[in-house]
Amino acid sequence: MTTPPFVVLKDIAKRWNGQLGVEGISLDIPEGSFTALLGPSGCGKSTTLRLLAGLELPDEGHILIDGKDVTTSAASDRNLSMVFQSYALFPHLSVAENVVFGLKVRRVAKKERQIKLHRALEITGLLGLEDRKPGELSGGQRQRVALARAIVAGQRLCLMDEPLSNLDAKLRNAVRKDIKKLQRDLGITVVYVTHDQTEAMSMADTVVLMKDGHIQQVGAPEDLYNKPNNTFVAEFIGAPPMALIGSGAISGYGAGQTIGIRAEHIQIVPKGEGRLRCTVNESEFLGSETLIGLKHADAVGLCVLKPGLSMMPEGDEIDITFHDDNLHVFDAAGHRRAAS
Amino acid sequence: MKSLTKFMDSFGAILLAIIWIAPLLFAFWAATHSTSDAVNLNLFSPWTLENFRVAWGGAPWLKYFMNTFMLVTVILIGQFVLTTLAGFAFAQLQFPGKDYVFILVLMQLFILPEVLIVENYAMVSRLGLFDTILGVGMPYMASAFGIFLMRQAFKGVPIELHEAARIEGCGLLGILWRVYVPLAKPTYLAYALVSVSTHWNNFLWPLIVTNSPDTRPLTVGLSIFGAPENGVDISVISAATMMSVAPLLIAFLIFQRQFVQAFLRAGIK
Repeated sequence: MTTPPFVVLKDIAKRWNGQLGVEGISLDIPEGSFTALLGPSGCGKSTTLRLLAGLELPDEGHILIDGKDVTTSAASDRNLSMVFQSYALFPHLSVAENVVFGLKVRRVAKKERQIKLHRALEITGLLGLEDRKPGELSGGQRQRVALARAIVAGQRLCLMDEPLSNLDAKLRNAVRKDIKKLQRDLGITVVYVTHDQTEAMSMADTVVLMKDGHIQQVGAPEDLYNKPNNTFVAEFIGAPPMALIGSGAISGYGAGQTIGIRAEHIQIVPKGEGRLRCTVNESEFLGSETLIGLKHADAVGLCVLKPGLSMMPEGDEIDITFHDDNLHVFDAAGHRRAAS
Repeated sequence: MKSLTKFMDSFGAILLAIIWIAPLLFAFWAATHSTSDAVNLNLFSPWTLENFRVAWGGAPWLKYFMNTFMLVTVILIGQFVLTTLAGFAFAQLQFPGKDYVFILVLMQLFILPEVLIVENYAMVSRLGLFDTILGVGMPYMASAFGIFLMRQAFKGVPIELHEAARIEGCGLLGILWRVYVPLAKPTYLAYALVSVSTHWNNFLWPLIVTNSPDTRPLTVGLSIFGAPENGVDISVISAATMMSVAPLLIAFLIFQRQFVQAFLRAGIK
């Protein structure tokens, strides 16, 4: 028996003055899951989230939340909460007032408000800061106030629009874990927009990769990494991303295809034994390993990882090899060919 | 050369300040001395408060004060309500012909209120508000300047706050009341100061629409008190003038900083 998905997007389209916003977005999001909308800027991930929130209305398609058609419902009737990129805290209200803003608007009794406020502040570690104004808080604290406001009402669906992009790198890692833990503990459904694949891959159960208003691939992080649907996904996911080689350069594959290979599957071999001869382009020391960038006329993004510090002089010619099992084959249009 | 320019700047400023404050200083001088001492500028003549006593007894000043106070309050409340709603509509709502309507409102800024006095008079009479405080205040409530000011203030509110309030369940009026109005507080204060000082000093229009002591504001009362047919006593008139400007003057001294900032803010925006 399968439970019906909690949030359903059916063939959603939204265009701005004839220009493309998003097109043909269909998505099923199960309850209690963490879904990340990932993509480069301008790909429509924020638009999708705003359509879901009710801040924009779609031109086509249907949106269902918890089995109810909310395609044209007002944002306030959708029973969801949202964390904004800029946090959108009300600067004239104190932390406590910001958090209970929605409860007050919905006329929740004062006693209940106090209990929920205390709980939300406790979860987010903000106790003792109730009377501060947002202007007197650090970036991380403001972010937590925004989180507290999102969870205080106990809405089952929480939307997050790049909530970490205004934090510094160190804090970002800590908050990332906090958000993930919060989502698990409360059992809420989170839809999370980000352009940072590390965030998406590390937090999400399902990653939705978008480009130019279309969904490119939906799947678990490991699926996107190990079985990219097309060359865009292959080149977007992973650091370093997958290298793409024109099939003509490798014997055994016909022309007109593209072969993808990840850096960790490439080995450097003595001259004459390799399947591809390339030139060393750059060496980048990453700490535990060294990333050697390679140049080949038919390949883009080719590189190989060597353990430890192992710089190679630029311009050196080396041979590389790889196993057929680790190759990803894409057809001329860039789509993944079914595994043979 | 540079120091000369600097000197001229300061000199000009001081000269203007003296010219500006001279009448007020003279009024203060005249009000606190007997008439003959005042006009002869007899510097060693004795100070007196007699003029204030005479002036206070000469007209229902308390009533006038109350009227002016009521007038500026009624106008301010009306302006706040109307300019808030209109400013919000122009800043954040979409409706057909919005830009044209806004230009029409702005055009009101180019028209001197004095030009409209006859038309306003007829209108107030038709509404049956002749010789009432509401009638005096009515023409100023839908202030184009105020609408413009509020529109600018509301436009400066980040759209994300609006959206956050929407998601938290606020209706349009709720958002206006809970988000926009509190954030525009400095603008309200600035506008209130400008509005109160303008209407405290307004004379021509109240003179025309009021004709009883029950509705007359201070300015009109003062002019009738000082009219030649009541006999000109420069000291008593000065005392009455000092009394009518005193509240505003004291308020100005207390709120000096905010007042200057208010004008700056209103001017810059």
